[in-house]
Amino acid sequence: MSIADQALTDDLAARRDMIVCRGVKKWFGDFQALRGVDVTVKDREVMVVLGPSGSGKSTLIRCINRLEVHQEGDIVVDGVELTNDTRNIEKIRSEVGMVFQQFNLFPHLTVLDNITLAPIWVRKKAKAEAERTAMELLERVGIPEQAAKFPGQLSGGQQQRVAIARSLAMEPKIMLFDEPTSALDPEMIAEVLDVMKDLARGGMTMMVVTHEMGFAREVADRLVFMESGDVVEVGTPEHFFTNPKEERTKLFLSQIL
Amino acid sequence: MSEITAPIETRPEEPSHTAGRWIRDNLFSSVSNTIQTVVFSAIVLGLLRWILGQVFSEDADWSSVATNLRLLMSYNYPTEQFVRIWVAAAAIFLMLGLSLGAWGIDPGFSVRRSARTLISTGVFALVVRLLLPSSTPDAIAMAMIVIGVVAIVIGGVVMRAVPKSSDRRVSFTAALGVMVGLVLAVVWLVPFGSYGVAEGERYAVPGVTVASSTKVPWTIVLLLVFFAQILGRRLGVSVGSVIRRSIVAFWVIGPAFIIFLVLRDPSFDWAHVWSTDVPMAAAFALGGGALLYALGRPGRDDLARVVGALLLALALFHWVAAFFGWYPMLQKARISFLLIALAVLLVPTFAGERSARVRFAGAWVGFMVVLHWLITGINTPSTLEISAPPFLGGLVLTVGIAYYVMLVSFPLGVLLSLARTSKMPIFRVMSTTYIEVIRGVPLITVLFFFSIMLPLFLPRGMGISDLAAVFAGYTVFSAAYMAENIRGGLQSVRRGQYEAADALGLTTVQRTTLIVLPQALRVSIPNLVGQAIATFKETSLIAIVGGFDLLRIANSTIPNQPDFLGQKRPGLLFISLVYFVVAYTMSKSSQRLEARLQAGQAR
Amino acid sequence: MTDNPNAASVIQLGGRPPIWRNAAVLKWTVQFAVLIAVLGVFWFLIAEARTNLSAKGIPVGYDWLDDPANFQLAEGIQTVDSPERRLTMSRALWVGMVNTLRIAALGIIFATIIGVIVGISRLSKNYVARRFSSVYVETLRNIPVLVQIILWLAILGSLGKLTADTGPIPGWIIISQKGISLPRVFLADGFYQFVSLLIVLSIGIRFISRSWRRRQEREGGDQRVGLKTFGLFVVAVVVSWIANPVMGFLGPIFDAISDGWGAIPQGLMQTLLSVVAIGAAVAWIKRFLNSRRTPAGMAKLIDDDWFRMVFAGVASLIGVWVLWRGWPGLSSWMVNSGSDFWGVLGDKFGDGRGAMPFDAMRPTLSEGRFVNYGDTGLTLTVFYAALFLGLVFYTSSFIAEIVRGGILAVPAGQSEAAAALGLNRSQALRKVVLPQAFRVIMPPLGNQYLNITKNTSLGIAVGFSEIVQVGQTVYNKNSQTLAVFSIYMIFYLACSLTISLVVNSVNRRLAIVER
Repeated sequence: MSIADQALTDDLAARRDMIVCRGVKKWFGDFQALRGVDVTVKDREVMVVLGPSGSGKSTLIRCINRLEVHQEGDIVVDGVELTNDTRNIEKIRSEVGMVFQQFNLFPHLTVLDNITLAPIWVRKKAKAEAERTAMELLERVGIPEQAAKFPGQLSGGQQQRVAIARSLAMEPKIMLFDEPTSALDPEMIAEVLDVMKDLARGGMTMMVVTHEMGFAREVADRLVFMESGDVVEVGTPEHFFTNPKEERTKLFLSQIL
Repeated sequence: MSEITAPIETRPEEPSHTAGRWIRDNLFSSVSNTIQTVVFSAIVLGLLRWILGQVFSEDADWSSVATNLRLLMSYNYPTEQFVRIWVAAAAIFLMLGLSLGAWGIDPGFSVRRSARTLISTGVFALVVRLLLPSSTPDAIAMAMIVIGVVAIVIGGVVMRAVPKSSDRRVSFTAALGVMVGLVLAVVWLVPFGSYGVAEGERYAVPGVTVASSTKVPWTIVLLLVFFAQILGRRLGVSVGSVIRRSIVAFWVIGPAFIIFLVLRDPSFDWAHVWSTDVPMAAAFALGGGALLYALGRPGRDDLARVVGALLLALALFHWVAAFFGWYPMLQKARISFLLIALAVLLVPTFAGERSARVRFAGAWVGFMVVLHWLITGINTPSTLEISAPPFLGGLVLTVGIAYYVMLVSFPLGVLLSLARTSKMPIFRVMSTTYIEVIRGVPLITVLFFFSIMLPLFLPRGMGISDLAAVFAGYTVFSAAYMAENIRGGLQSVRRGQYEAADALGLTTVQRTTLIVLPQALRVSIPNLVGQAIATFKETSLIAIVGGFDLLRIANSTIPNQPDFLGQKRPGLLFISLVYFVVAYTMSKSSQRLEARLQAGQAR
Repeated sequence: MTDNPNAASVIQLGGRPPIWRNAAVLKWTVQFAVLIAVLGVFWFLIAEARTNLSAKGIPVGYDWLDDPANFQLAEGIQTVDSPERRLTMSRALWVGMVNTLRIAALGIIFATIIGVIVGISRLSKNYVARRFSSVYVETLRNIPVLVQIILWLAILGSLGKLTADTGPIPGWIIISQKGISLPRVFLADGFYQFVSLLIVLSIGIRFISRSWRRRQEREGGDQRVGLKTFGLFVVAVVVSWIANPVMGFLGPIFDAISDGWGAIPQGLMQTLLSVVAIGAAVAWIKRFLNSRRTPAGMAKLIDDDWFRMVFAGVASLIGVWVLWRGWPGLSSWMVNSGSDFWGVLGDKFGDGRGAMPFDAMRPTLSEGRFVNYGDTGLTLTVFYAALFLGLVFYTSSFIAEIVRGGILAVPAGQSEAAAALGLNRSQALRKVVLPQAFRVIMPPLGNQYLNITKNTSLGIAVGFSEIVQVGQTVYNKNSQTLAVFSIYMIFYLACSLTISLVVNSVNRRLAIVER
């Protein structure tokens, strides 16, 4: 049994595998960012990835929707393997939503157009329908009144909520969050985390890279601790915050808490 | 109430500058400042005296320009057909006015600033009067005094009447109205004299106003601009996006229609048109439209790609066949085959849901109709009877070439810049080589190459007109520079934008057209306007490779006329003025646009 | 895991995608398809051109370069054919290139001077200076350079006629229909000896100056190192001026090198060059592979890496093919011209050379024409003057804008910080503002220099004998358009490459190191 399968509660173990990474390795030039990562994310699970900066957390989740191409190992998302097959890539990208640290909203489009863009052009939805869904999503993230504005006119927290709505508009099965609150002012972090908690409660499969320990403790089903491209430890929040096994995990937690 | 109850202080009025104070501050504040004033004043006065000496020298015959104005503007266009030129001008100025209004372009002018400009103009006119050489006609000397005094008086009165505190901005509409009114007043009242050529004879009637065959059309055209501007403003508010899209469509295809169908007046062979051209256009438009509509249905992506690839192979085969002369086929059929193949390849990316498919197929039908109409018109002989062959020349040619070079090289430049920034190494190498080689050599060698070598490269039996070869040269040259300008914009699009588009599942083509290019082009607009100005100036090189543009007419046609032998300077000075006015206007409006875009970024 | 029904069954690992959906295969197929299509079109066009040319009886190649020119040039280092100095086609083209480079170099210098003055005046506090400069810039840059050049020609053409006929003419500057004539300082016989002696002395001075500077750094204070070095340099100039014949011994040495160079057989040259080409490719690939080596072994090479290495290899092989089959004449040309170069250098140091490194004279008339080039004053023909004035004024307006933009681009905070540190205005300008402005100015300035060089080709409109005009005369004579165009291309590409190399190296020195 690999580390990835340790600490699986019976409930989780019975669920379907949504993301499976096996021995994933990745180099940037001569720098090895991932050294054989094994992680499994189950259906409706919230997995939080922790680790110091440069430990490969972001690289890992960016490999999962192929923003980076891993060089060795397998990644299987919802039963579809990530290979050079263009159809698999298309399928995975349209089923996996992603939220970035820097929001990456499209500055030349209004908030509404940002959200409806992919449903119209990728899912080939009718415009009216896409806009109806978009308005519902904006209601859900709490900023329906900003629909006609441009991203540059919103605060950071609002932008990040739009970015979440934009990903949700594709009705993804999995959501990836790459440090979604790191670029935000402290008073805006809560509003974004609330939206994410809502999503978790709704049963979304999520993989979250974050430094928000409160969020990790409250929402995560399991935590993964990574360091210099390796998975060091996997476990439930309880296990992590009360009784971590590895020295490195202890050290990291003592520094950050 | 011992609390702070400081009285609200009003900000003290800034002391208004007196003229003496201004002069002291700006001209004689220090020793080096005084030296600068003296040195630069000497240079300015000397240069002005010299330029005026060139303009009003005894051996400069300005009637050479006045008589040949028509030649300079539209070359040998037949006089009896001149109504076509006026229709064309009216259409273009109408759309210009509509565009100004529809995009809500409103520079606005401060009243006090305008008055100040007026006063300095007046002072300038008086200085010019003092520096005029003795050979200047009395009327001009007198006019300078009148202009100077009137301008200073009006400016001064306005400055008095509108104190600094109540300065207002005049709306663009009002300013335009004043300008149009002024021009009309000058044209109708000032006795410039009537010059021209009638039945081969040159005539000059000094002391009257401009001939009514000139001033009546200009009056109509200028009034059109004014009212179209107001109309555009109204429409821009009520039906903004529709009117703006139609105007853009006009600017893309309108000038070609004007040049080839209005000015060139093709004599359509209607039997041939109905038997061949119309059915062919209909077949491509409707057949293609139906195909695109059917293949655009979601889930037919693979089918569309296969059909597209087959069509592409067929189209390429037609071109190869054409080069080897295997079987006859109209050129426009080959072009249409190529275009339908490309459209089918793009259908999975852009069509989909029903209304999107209808739009895509509709765009195709409209595009085919326009294209076939144009090609048929171009291929039909003209009815114009022109004394010297090229039917276009002068300012019309200069502006037309510059305009179409920009228009055609734009998509080429976009493709080249995308290739140069792409992740595909072979494309990168090819595009970089092209761009650097073209940018490394002077324009004139490219133009010579195309006008001399292009006929050599073509298969026997295929020809290309001189002007078309030169046009191709300009386009090839301009595309390389365009690519570099757009590359600057592409590099300013942040990586996160690409990643977000990928994460949403957009295809590469969608990512490029919907996310990357709109942002990149917006950033490149100032540079592209700069290139448009450069291209406009570079059209003067047509004179070297054999076209009759402004420069050629001023430099060799007019000085060879028996009446004006050797009269080069007036013509050259005049066309310098024409180039200056056009280029300066463009660069000023581009600066304004840049400021506006920067303001837009900040929001 | 056994109680998980979905996990294993859905996943089929390791299956290769069909090639029409394989991203990597698609990427390379498309690229090669387009490459082959482009090459095919080129091949087709060139084949057509060959047939068309041979149908007209025009041979393809460069053999005509040695033919006599049979035409005169308007100006340049050699204008007519004479028994002692033949004017061949290649010589005529060379004269054109020299004319182009001359006017470009002079134009660059003057445009820079005027441009910097005008650009700085635009930021002046003085109203007249500011206003004049902005009118200057706006007027000149908005009128096409060709129109300006032709206008200058028209204005110069209307100047007075010269009444004198032969002999030196009085006065210092004579402006007439024949052009602008000035006294000129020119390089005389002793120049090369002078320069070589000066170089030798300068090396010595450099050592002395360095030791002074070290002492300055050790002991502090102001020991006026710059001033003393300059004084020493002045002494060196005087010494070289007087004692330059000392260097005459270099002449025979250069002659010997010339003979040795000329004796290299063509085959050896080809082999050497091939070795250089292949060696360069191998070295590049080695370096590239080294950069991909990691502490944990070789990093995986992606397709782009492979492409680069293959590209380098193929390029060197193409180079070798050109050397042996494509253009064997290149090697013998390199042998000959190398030998010529050393021979010319040997001549410059030859015996019987006078001691004066420089000389000066006023312009001279001979049969109504100004004698130009050589030991007389300088006359810019009206063609030259028109092209020169047009280029300089037009380009200076762009340079002025670049200078102004560069100065404005330095944030106000920089001079404020300098002032806060206690630097005075001129120190702040010299040490803080200008170095940063220069960094912004340099790249577009290099572009303008390139533009001047390319715009000299407009000389064809006024009949100035620059490379394009001479080339046109050549192909009008012998219809060798393709060959002449290839020469144009190589010449201008060499010019742009040189200018961009200089600009880039300056830029690299100025670059602010950033992460």
